[in-house]
Amino acid sequence: MAEMEFGGKTLEIDEDGFIQDPEAWDEAVAADLAKTEGVEDLSEDHWKVVNYLRGYYLEFNMAPMIRKLCKESGFKLKEIYELFPSGPAKGACKVAGLPKPTGCV
Amino acid sequence: MDLITISAKGGKECSVRLRGHELVTDMSAEEGGNDGGPSPVELLGCSLGACIAMMVQSYCDRQGYTDGKVDVSLTLELADDPKRIGGFVIDVELPADVPENRLAAVRKIAEHCPVHATLNTPPSVDIDFTLGNT
Repeated sequence: MAEMEFGGKTLEIDEDGFIQDPEAWDEAVAADLAKTEGVEDLSEDHWKVVNYLRGYYLEFNMAPMIRKLCKESGFKLKEIYELFPSGPAKGACKVAGLPKPTGCV
Repeated sequence: MDLITISAKGGKECSVRLRGHELVTDMSAEEGGNDGGPSPVELLGCSLGACIAMMVQSYCDRQGYTDGKVDVSLTLELADDPKRIGGFVIDVELPADVPENRLAAVRKIAEHCPVHATLNTPPSVDIDFTLGNT
């Protein structure tokens, strides 16, 4: 398992760059994870998505369905992709420190 | 229905031919391909989105709703055991002059497009294998 530094912490990541310990996540970690997704600065809109995902994960121990994310955050699907070009699963969930979603395309 | 032929080109890439058209399918680099085209699974999403866009735009044209065009944004939710598409998430943007009271009709058209109907009522799939291709 590879290790990388995020937010001043050395964290284990999987082959797709998802951190392995969700408990190690904090805002500084998120900011550095975002850079790996090509997002240099997390705007208020980014944080709205990240914080919703984070809160949902902490409550239910899973990521929300995409439609629920759109409805609860108030963003259209394409707006989510504008914020996180890799999409809600591989991009936003990674920045929010969630485990890698299952499945592949 | 015209014949569709698909030839494996090596790696994850396939060439798809139909009625003089040709397109390439492949897998992304992170899935072991060269990203030479959409994946077969992504193409299924493309089919559904394009079918909805076509049908809804045709309805708008017939009704004279001309203040803008139909745009569809779509993504896939994936599922495991077996690996498959677990769901489609689709946003449809409509011309601005579509009346609110016609949205139910638009939804019905989208939900009854041929690709959506095919997914709702799965078709039979009949596969035969032949040895000796070179």
